[in-house]
Amino acid sequence: MKINDLSLYSKYAFRDLIRSYSKILSIIITLLISLFILSTILTIEDSLENELNENSKVLLGGDLEIDYNNREGDRDLIKKIENISTVSQIVEFSTMISTVEKKLNKTSFTRIKAIDQNYPLYGDVIFEPAGSLKKLNEIDNTILVNENIFKNLNLKINDIVKVQNVKFKVIGVVKVLPDIGGAFVFGDFALTGKNTLDKLELNTLGSFLNYEYKIKFDDYKNKDKKINEIKKIFKNNDKVKIRYPENSAGGIKRIIDNFSQFLSLVSISAMLIAGIGIANTLLSFINQKNSSIAVQKAIGINSGNIKTIYYLQLLISLIFISLVAYGLSFLLVPVVDKYISDGLGLNIKASFSLTNLFIVFVVGLLVIIIFSIPTVNSIDQIKASSLFRNVFQSLQFKYTKLSISLSLLLLTILVILFAFRSSIPTYSLIYFASFFVCLVVFFYVSQLIILLLRKNLIKLGISSKIAIKNITQSKSITPITVMSLGLGMTLLLTLAFVGSNFKSEIAKSIPEIAPDYFFLGIQNNQKDLFKKIINDTDKEAVTEIVPMVSAGLVKINGIDPNTYISNTNDSYWVIMNDRRVSWANTIPKDNPILEGSWWDTSQPNKLQISLDSKVAKDFGVDIGDKFTLRIYGREVEGEVVNFRLVNYQDLSINFAMLLNPQFAENIPHEYLSTIKFKNIKRFNEVNFLDKFPSVSIIKISDYLSKVTNVLNKVFIAVSIISAVTVIIGLVVISSAIIVQGKIKIFQNLVFKILGFSKKEIIMSSIIEFIISFLSIIFFSTIFAVLASKFIIENIFQLKWLFELNIFLYVTTGVGIATLALIVITNFRYLSPKVYPLVRNE
Amino acid sequence: MSNVSLNYNIDNNSINILKNISFEVDYKETISIVGESGSGKTSLIMLIGGLEKISAGNIFFKDSEISNMTEDEISEIRRKNIGIVFQSFYLIPNYTALENVSLSLEINKLDNATKKAKEILDRFGLSNRFNNLPSQLSGGEQQRVAIARSVVMKPELILADEPTGNLDSENTENISNLLFNYIKDENASLIMVTHDNNLANLTKRKITIKDGVISENQ
Ligand SMILES: Nc1ncnc2c1ncn2[C@@H]1O[C@H](COP(=O)(O)OP(=O)(O)O)[C@@H](O)[C@H]1O
Ligand SMILES: [Mg+2]
Repeated sequence: MKINDLSLYSKYAFRDLIRSYSKILSIIITLLISLFILSTILTIEDSLENELNENSKVLLGGDLEIDYNNREGDRDLIKKIENISTVSQIVEFSTMISTVEKKLNKTSFTRIKAIDQNYPLYGDVIFEPAGSLKKLNEIDNTILVNENIFKNLNLKINDIVKVQNVKFKVIGVVKVLPDIGGAFVFGDFALTGKNTLDKLELNTLGSFLNYEYKIKFDDYKNKDKKINEIKKIFKNNDKVKIRYPENSAGGIKRIIDNFSQFLSLVSISAMLIAGIGIANTLLSFINQKNSSIAVQKAIGINSGNIKTIYYLQLLISLIFISLVAYGLSFLLVPVVDKYISDGLGLNIKASFSLTNLFIVFVVGLLVIIIFSIPTVNSIDQIKASSLFRNVFQSLQFKYTKLSISLSLLLLTILVILFAFRSSIPTYSLIYFASFFVCLVVFFYVSQLIILLLRKNLIKLGISSKIAIKNITQSKSITPITVMSLGLGMTLLLTLAFVGSNFKSEIAKSIPEIAPDYFFLGIQNNQKDLFKKIINDTDKEAVTEIVPMVSAGLVKINGIDPNTYISNTNDSYWVIMNDRRVSWANTIPKDNPILEGSWWDTSQPNKLQISLDSKVAKDFGVDIGDKFTLRIYGREVEGEVVNFRLVNYQDLSINFAMLLNPQFAENIPHEYLSTIKFKNIKRFNEVNFLDKFPSVSIIKISDYLSKVTNVLNKVFIAVSIISAVTVIIGLVVISSAIIVQGKIKIFQNLVFKILGFSKKEIIMSSIIEFIISFLSIIFFSTIFAVLASKFIIENIFQLKWLFELNIFLYVTTGVGIATLALIVITNFRYLSPKVYPLVRNE
Repeated sequence: MSNVSLNYNIDNNSINILKNISFEVDYKETISIVGESGSGKTSLIMLIGGLEKISAGNIFFKDSEISNMTEDEISEIRRKNIGIVFQSFYLIPNYTALENVSLSLEINKLDNATKKAKEILDRFGLSNRFNNLPSQLSGGEQQRVAIARSVVMKPELILADEPTGNLDSENTENISNLLFNYIKDENASLIMVTHDNNLANLTKRKITIKDGVISENQ
């Protein structure tokens, strides 16, 4: 086609579009919604990544970080670094802060950062009142607590609190820390000066002590040289980890990746459901243009050029829709910013990206082409000769081998585009496969309903008869209703089931198996006193107390596992850092042995290891394999003798690795204890801390409520977003009803002439709805149950339960919305006023 | 056209609608086709316009045989040389009168499409109806626009299937005057199906069709 042809046809396309966009409004709306979701995801993902990249130094807290783990850095080495850069020493530990006044009796398990004058090297601490941050290192025994502690412990500025058994003055409130890098998301935190350390009794394990040295280069001229120099200094020091800004936010990035992968899948689902509607609406649009197209053919415009006009109309709409959708996504960024900055302390700003706009456009284009090929091709069926006969056959989707292959090809491109943009393509591919299986099943379900109802199995009232006629007629909207709503419903139900199972699994474990408290950092010489005090408080308390040391898994069969186990491995955490390990004489009750045998007591001097069976599977470890553990800097080789089934989720004491006690008892160790009180009120945290200032108390219910809180937020966000697919489904259905409108008007008119009441006609719509909807519920529930069971049991490894409440909420919610929509849309066709409409177009 | 036949297939039965039709149309000739309803008049006109495929025989337009052309080739010929008027007008509903007429000119890439379309509408007495949509026009006006559309390209052949079939007698006279004046002025040929004897008598030749064959040709 020549350029000036194209400009002519574009002109027609423009004109047609401007005059009749209302007829394809549902196409515009559904595309707009789904492209808006996609744009939002892309924009926010981009903004977050920008924020993380721009602030990677801030998040890390320096140009470099030297992590000494739980021991203080080597002063000589640090001195060397100080010669070429500014160093800020930060020591983090977890301990208890409690009120001094007994009557208040409040405590908080807190992560404290002991900072020096150089902190922060990058970024800003937001705190009140002015000047208080500086005072931390000028006045002894001062502390800044976070807003939550300030509120919960009922504090005022200049109040006194106790950290362990040392009194501190609260000189201010800290709101935001720049270097969060992933930690501090859930818990409470506080800042103190660097000499705090000398005043407290910190135990390496129970306090989760961590020494970090943040480094800032004063000038960037010889940056790479300096980095190499520092690397050289720590070359032979394998206990030290050097971190760079690039991987400062690895954890957050992974979460963002996963979340946006999930959201993109939801958005593409929305788009595919919209596609069903697009095909249908477009067909009716072209049907309405039947005679105009015939006239164009009679005048001598060939079929290909007429099709071009229609494709151009779609293209013009799409350009417009993409721009609007992308533009609108910027409005949502501040909302999301508010939502996530509470938790993560990140501030995101939307930035324009041509690539993203292009992606939005291309995805829209693919969807439009895929779904409009058979429809626009139906233009071939229109004959100019029908103008002589005054009969216009209604058009059908036209499938040719070529168009089907083209659609499939484009669909594949779309799927690949989405799957391989994501971090785990397999999940996306599984998702797409399930999606298309559901689509096919729902199509056949609709055909089955039609087939069964045609058989006239039962004698029915008049409204039901009309309903059945409506369902089984050739222009029935049943297939579209069932497919579009079925898919949306399946997705929503699946996510609702997953979410509610997840939440209730966590909520359930509080009263039943979980202990009330964890006690961390009980020293060897405190063990007996601890037991006695607990016993004095509550004789019926169930106490479990286990030894604990920190051990790093440095070699498996002589090879560093970090060289062959990637960080996407489910059990990567076992080799990521030092792990806490314990030992036991007898097999823990809830940890049955799956393979191998318990300790060989005839070899007390040999290290024997009992391993979590899942870790064994993930790492490909067999019984008899050799593990090298580093305990207190010394490397010991041991043999894996058995695999245990470990269920971490019961929140009792669980360890990935247990050692044989005969060997391990000689290692210096601390104790970890869990306690379930018969009467929790008898336990006074403040009194307890008076006696054990260095022990940390974690109240499980507090901890769980924080986790549940976060999960709730995520759950709500996910549900809202996936409800979009149902909304798109509803738009598709209502447009299908409108498309059917003319038939409806004639039909209702005939009914009226025959003497049916409005009530009976409305009743028939309701019955029609109920028949379709029940089948939708039935099948989408089956799919949702299967999918959510798979996710809960295989991905999260939790127990799955059918959540009747959620099922009822979702189905009635969607049901009422759909029914309302159907009744409202049909109502338009009841009033006789619409009769003149029949005569015009 | 010579020995033209048209068969329609219905449920695997071939029905012979037109049998061995042969006639010629000269330049500037006007022909009316008459006959009972269902005799095959419309079918014949469709064949001439290349809107239906013949089952046997040949149709020539000037020197080219159109009976074995592709649809796009016929489109091309129709676009430039043949104007068609339908009984039910068939204007494009969301185009104004002016746009309906200029459409033909534009797709043939003629300059001043709007100006020419205005001229012809003016000539047909529709100068104050340029921007009305078909739904805002009376039946007679719609047919005048339709005729304007079919003649605006100055086709050599005009095909009309009962152009006045949907109109009252006053409008019928109006339309027939307009059509015949135009043909005289512009030297075009006309083939017109009609039930109206007055109208048929205005043509030079009258072909009568009965049961798919030409029973009279005078
Ligand atoms: N698509 C078709 N299939 C089968 N028969 C048809 C078709 N179109 C028209 N006919 C038949 O062809 C015959 C001629 O029709 P037509 O040319 O419209 O007659 P006229 O215009 O003279 O009234 C009629 O008997 C009609 O029923
Ligand atoms: Mg006829």
